[in-house]
Amino acid sequence: MRHAFSQALIIGALLGTQPLSVALAESNEPAEQQARALWHQQIAAGYQALSTSAQRLSDTATRYCETPNDNTRQLLVSHWREAFFDWQAVRFVDFGPIELDSRAWQLQFWPDPKNLVGTKARQLLSSDTPIDRQRVTDSGVAAEGFPMLEYLLFDEPFNQTEQALPDGRGCALLLATATIVEDNTTQLATDWQALAEHYQATDSYSATTVRSAMTALDILVHKRLGEPMGLGSSQRRLVYAGDAWRSGQSIAAAEASLSGLQRYFLPGLIRKLEQADQRGIADDLTDQFQTTLARFDALPDDLASVLEDDQRYAQLQNLYIAVQQLEQTLELQAAVALGIRQGFNSNDGD
Amino acid sequence: MRTLQPLAVATAIASLTMAGCSTFAGTAQTPATPESVVSHYSDLALATYEDALTTAQRLDTAVDALLDNPTEQTLASAKQAWLAARVPYQQSEVFRFGNAVVDDWEGQLNAWPLDEGLIDYVETTHYQYELGNEGASANLVANSQLTVGGEALTVNTFTPQVLADLNEIGGSEANVATGYHAIEFLLWGQDLNGFDAGNGNRPATDYATGNDCTNGNCDRRRAYLDAATDLLVDDLEWMTDQWSPEMAGNYRASLVADDATTGLQKMLFGMGSLSLGELAGERMKVALEANSPEDEHDCFSDNTHNSHYYNGLGVVNVYTGTYQTIDGKLVEGPSLSDLVAADQPELDTTLRQQLETSMTALGAIKSAAEAPSNPMAFDQMIEPGNQAGSTLVNTAIQSLVAQTYSIEQVAQTVGVNDLQPDDAGHAF
Repeated sequence: MRHAFSQALIIGALLGTQPLSVALAESNEPAEQQARALWHQQIAAGYQALSTSAQRLSDTATRYCETPNDNTRQLLVSHWREAFFDWQAVRFVDFGPIELDSRAWQLQFWPDPKNLVGTKARQLLSSDTPIDRQRVTDSGVAAEGFPMLEYLLFDEPFNQTEQALPDGRGCALLLATATIVEDNTTQLATDWQALAEHYQATDSYSATTVRSAMTALDILVHKRLGEPMGLGSSQRRLVYAGDAWRSGQSIAAAEASLSGLQRYFLPGLIRKLEQADQRGIADDLTDQFQTTLARFDALPDDLASVLEDDQRYAQLQNLYIAVQQLEQTLELQAAVALGIRQGFNSNDGD
Repeated sequence: MRTLQPLAVATAIASLTMAGCSTFAGTAQTPATPESVVSHYSDLALATYEDALTTAQRLDTAVDALLDNPTEQTLASAKQAWLAARVPYQQSEVFRFGNAVVDDWEGQLNAWPLDEGLIDYVETTHYQYELGNEGASANLVANSQLTVGGEALTVNTFTPQVLADLNEIGGSEANVATGYHAIEFLLWGQDLNGFDAGNGNRPATDYATGNDCTNGNCDRRRAYLDAATDLLVDDLEWMTDQWSPEMAGNYRASLVADDATTGLQKMLFGMGSLSLGELAGERMKVALEANSPEDEHDCFSDNTHNSHYYNGLGVVNVYTGTYQTIDGKLVEGPSLSDLVAADQPELDTTLRQQLETSMTALGAIKSAAEAPSNPMAFDQMIEPGNQAGSTLVNTAIQSLVAQTYSIEQVAQTVGVNDLQPDDAGHAF
């Protein structure tokens, strides 16, 4: 099923009618375009990497289902991780072609407190109807992305059942979903390229891009880390409130997202800050990205073992504080210096 | 029962269509200044909570009648009273975001979605609860002993305080023991129809005494429902007091004493957060895109269309400075709209038109759900492949997104530069 909502948004974006945008304090055309050219190029690289790794994942899924053995299974797991991390790296981009048809949710429906992914998987696997691409897309966004693949590969109760991979229905769901992810990421990379001229010519995209990074950091701090750590709406530590808990990759995924911001977002921002004569803020941000990313070295990939161990939890708290400070530097210093402010976003609900 | 409230709807639309051609009667008497607008905002909140309280008291009375004489008729009356109680309450949700006094309090009244297996029996094949929630299948009606979060509890009796203490037990927001949705579940029961027509179908005999009792533990179920409706009334009395101009030291006193820009910020933050993140996002887009009836707001009663509609009307109320009471009285006064119109009339006209578009879209959802023939409830609209349904919901989402953009513009116009909620100093 395809919905008109995002289509309208992207059409709006293409027409340059993004009313959310706040005009920048001063607009210097050539300099403006330079920063956006850099952003466009970096994000394009990120989307291309994702498309390539998703294609490899899909190919490996086919190989595994044709020849299921330990080697192909390991390769499949490894390629799922690589593609998933490539997605984490560009997950901050919440505007442009990613908005079409809720593609971000198609790639990763999250948060999923009520385990819709598991419910949809069970519904698809238990019925007699053949599982194909159409059937998966008809099941909604929770069935279509990385979490469904993660469920098939890592969900412990599921992997105790007879339907576990490489069972026929399990493989059918694996192949259909991997193909959808491959097609969606390929189309995303293509659509982003098509946006190049408009993106670079439209001043308001600078603010939109900075805001997307602010939102991503906010989600990282409060939802992806804060909620499972018991620092959000609940004081209870709960691994299921994080993402990628089935694969034990919640912290590794957070690192991939922060690293993606450093690679694909920071260079363009530095360019903008330099143009605004804010070299100091640019240096601070560069340092903060480095020191924050270094904090991941002391932590494992998974969240569960950290939440159960107070000493490790303290290290996670240090990371949490570092990401929060990074968010503040971006929002209260960089964005303010550039005349950009955060508006309402879709995470304002509870 | 006032399902449609045609007068309220007509008034809201009429006041919207007056855009650019007139001012409201109230505004003619009281010039719109940031201070008068914030003060009138408090009047709107008071009037809305007073109605929420009145309709909750009627619900409480209807539930008492059900418990005195459990029949399908008294159960139906209690359901009607619940539906009527949602009309003002949903309009009050615009006061939630930004006002910490409301946001900190509302979890006991309108927390959602809930793991209803905490409260009473459920049909497990249709029951999907929050991951890791130990209380999700506690069934308080059937069990006086439970262990949640490593804590063993004995619950021999249900009183408003006992239920309040049980709410969000174990730190899970899904452990909703109190409020409208707990009562909704106790009146309707689980909706086992999935994407098909129909809502919960709890028999009145679930509240019968002696041998007529169905599904067991009717005495505890009766006590639970009684306590839950009593608590709802208590909570709304407290909140009504917070907005009274005659009560010293309450929330209203601090709000109107504060810098008026702070009040305007709370108004705008409430309008924008409810429009975009909560209503368009959490309550509609998630349910639609994931085709998930679990994410339907009023999932037991299938009253979601009204909850959404009156949420939308709440945003209109705050912007236009109007509120149609359940008795048909129009509360009106200096509004945000007046402030914007004085400075940027085009922006005011745009936002008013967008609000009207949103109400039309939400009204179309409501009309489809209440159609005399072939009605389509919200949980049917989100069924995979239902193009007409997804168009209805998407149209509403789009219009709410559009109005949020203008709400941001209004914030700039009236000098609100930071849309983050400031709750410092206003926590009770």
